[in-house]
Amino acid sequence: MSAILEIRNVTRRFAGLVAVNQVSFTLAEGEILGLIGPNGAGKTTLVSLISGTLAPTQGEILYQGKPIGDLPAYRRARLGIGRTFQIMRPFPGLSVLDNVAVGALFGRGGGQPDLSKAREQARACLDFVGLGRAAGQRAEELGGPGRKRLELAKALAMQPQVLLCDEVMAGLNLVEIDEVIDVIRKVRASGISVLVIEHVIKAIKSLSDRLLVLHHGEKIADGAPDEVLANAEVVQAYLGRRRA
Amino acid sequence: MKPGRAILALAAAAVLAGVPWYGSDVLVQFGINTLLLAVLAQGWNIIGGYAGYASFGNSVFYGLGSYGVAIAMVQWELPFAAGLALGAALAVAFALLLGMPVLRLRGHYFAIATLALAQVMTAIVSNVELAGQNIGLVLPPLNNDPLFYELSLGLLVLATLTVAWLTRSKFGFGLIAIRENEEGAAVMGVNTTLYKVAAFALSGVFSALAGGIHAYWITFLDPESAFDISLNVKMIIMAVFGGAGTLLGPVVGAFSLSAISELLSSEITSAAGLFFGAVIVAAVVLMPRGLADLLRRYRKSGWRYFIENIRAHRL
Amino acid sequence: MDLLAQILVNGILLGGLYAVMAQGLALVWGVLNIVNLAHGAFIMLGAYASWYLYTDLGVDPFLGLPATAAALFALGYVLQRGLLNLVVRAPMFNTLLITFGLEVVLTYLAQLAFSADFRTINPPYAGDSYALGPVTLPVARLAAFGVALALTLAMWLFLLHSRLGRAIRATAQNLVAARLYGVEPRHLYAVTFGLGLALAGAAGGLYGTVSQVNPYIGATLTAKCFAISIIGGLDNPLGVMVGGLFLGIVESLTTLYVGPTFADVASFGILVLVLFLRPSGLLGRAA
Repeated sequence: MSAILEIRNVTRRFAGLVAVNQVSFTLAEGEILGLIGPNGAGKTTLVSLISGTLAPTQGEILYQGKPIGDLPAYRRARLGIGRTFQIMRPFPGLSVLDNVAVGALFGRGGGQPDLSKAREQARACLDFVGLGRAAGQRAEELGGPGRKRLELAKALAMQPQVLLCDEVMAGLNLVEIDEVIDVIRKVRASGISVLVIEHVIKAIKSLSDRLLVLHHGEKIADGAPDEVLANAEVVQAYLGRRRA
Repeated sequence: MKPGRAILALAAAAVLAGVPWYGSDVLVQFGINTLLLAVLAQGWNIIGGYAGYASFGNSVFYGLGSYGVAIAMVQWELPFAAGLALGAALAVAFALLLGMPVLRLRGHYFAIATLALAQVMTAIVSNVELAGQNIGLVLPPLNNDPLFYELSLGLLVLATLTVAWLTRSKFGFGLIAIRENEEGAAVMGVNTTLYKVAAFALSGVFSALAGGIHAYWITFLDPESAFDISLNVKMIIMAVFGGAGTLLGPVVGAFSLSAISELLSSEITSAAGLFFGAVIVAAVVLMPRGLADLLRRYRKSGWRYFIENIRAHRL
Repeated sequence: MDLLAQILVNGILLGGLYAVMAQGLALVWGVLNIVNLAHGAFIMLGAYASWYLYTDLGVDPFLGLPATAAALFALGYVLQRGLLNLVVRAPMFNTLLITFGLEVVLTYLAQLAFSADFRTINPPYAGDSYALGPVTLPVARLAAFGVALALTLAMWLFLLHSRLGRAIRATAQNLVAARLYGVEPRHLYAVTFGLGLALAGAAGGLYGTVSQVNPYIGATLTAKCFAISIIGGLDNPLGVMVGGLFLGIVESLTTLYVGPTFADVASFGILVLVLFLRPSGLLGRAA
């Protein structure tokens, strides 16, 4: 499998704070890569760097072999990079359907110029994530779990080739988490490569092909889930040093 | 648009179009002023209501439109239509040149920057000889109020149709996405800079055309009145009072506030100012989303609508 | 050369006055996130208050400043507590609109109460001046400058180094935390706005001694205060002072070397440049 996304020695500084420090990894085509790490490790910053909201201070980001580090966010979206936001911010004035339609109007390749076709595509995406019934509601009326799925549907409507999921399982109960895992598996089955940031370790362990661990902005582990989770440094990062 | 509503709108337009025949001269003049204000409000709606960038610079476009017509007709002896085209071209040029840096600014910084630009333009134009400098220009008179009335009405219809197109086009959705969550919009593929500048230019064209018609109608302009900031404030208040980001809100706002202001100034002369201010203050507290929202929700919530608004926004 | 020195001095004296005018606006904007379009109208009210104190009660305008300031503080407290607190959590545009409405009302009421005549406060020493080498320093302007400096310093000490000042800043930054600490935000907000208006009132009293007053000066003064606040920066009273001095000097120089109509172009042109050249977004500001 070739690498669809390649991160080479990417660093991001914020006036004295190094949020991401010399991180390198690849996302293979058709892979589900899990990204974990304690709070403040730099996971969301990394996703922002890939999606184009932030520019790297150093390093290269390659998408399908071509460098995209200089491209603004909307160009990367048009190339096929989609993301969800950890702090969900739907477009409040619009219905659920129209929220997703924005993704269809503007996604990969510049999206769809026709509004009614975009709405059809949006409907399909809503069904895909299980939100079909809520299409007519106002976006702000959705509860937490609904909003998480809306974020996914919006990103999927863009017809991305790479999907960056930022904590889509936070605040969900066990049943809902299982449902989201199913959706992400379906997403991968449809040909999309996925990078999943998550805190729910059990879920991400069963979902991911590979795990990547960030701590204080640095990559401290990268490999098969079982190995990574047994890694002493990873355990220490999450639980602290053993005192006994 | 539902067929019932469309028929209503057509009927209203027909009634309005007939005013020069059955209305008094005073009514026609009031009509021209009100219609032009409605055009300004609707034009502002594009950048302020739909894109969410509260522009205080539309008075610049208005002034450019006025001067476009004046310079074309007085200095170069071109017909009115050419003057309008010149005014519109100036507006687009201004939007493209200054729009990009100005639209990078967020929220009220954008508002202030446009306000400052308006002041600068006034002072610059006061010193340009072609524009008659401080004294201004006098245009060839055309004593045909009904013509100006129908022109203004036509422009308002055009502006409203444009906004209607916005609500069902990719461009409009892009603007709404920018307004609601600009970063989110960019990440979804919206070229935010291009869209914002386009909205700014489109909004500016309408302001310029209104300015051009107004200049020819009153046959005189000078920098102070052409770039008058209070005009910009008026159009914002009318758009917001009626409902920014809605199709007919700005038009309703313009008509209602003009009518009230006119009524007051004939009954209780200068109290119009006091009333205007008081209405604005009350409206911002009780119905910040404008008449459009009030009419929609009042059916559901009744008086509680106002209380809900206060509860949601107070400290 | 002498002329240049005089112009610079004029600019500095003017600038100090401008700075104290803008302090109240910057305080309320930077701390409370309220953009007060009526700010100039309150300066105007302060000027009238001082005028009445002087004309009817014979109180020297400088000595009467505390009274003017206190009156406007009370007005500000009531306005914030009774009206503005109702829209504080709405989109910022709403505070712009509501203060604009206030401006219209205040201007109208002032015109009703005071008529449209121009007035000046002319204490007996108004015409005197000191000579400092080649430069003439009018007494009134010099005194106004001095008071302005003192007020700015007091503001700086208060906001950055006093308990109440820190409480105000903390409340503005984190409402929830402030409440948990037992701070009553409505009261604090009202106090802050009152302070902003007190400064405006004092500035108005000073303004009345060096320039003419009528009900319509509000709008232009507000615009100037905006320019100063942005050029100088909202977070620090000393920044506002720098902004005011800068604007005063620029205006004086432009008036002399280019022409009086260009003074506004210069100030607003610089404002535009400042806004353009700062990094886009300006999200770091409390505003």
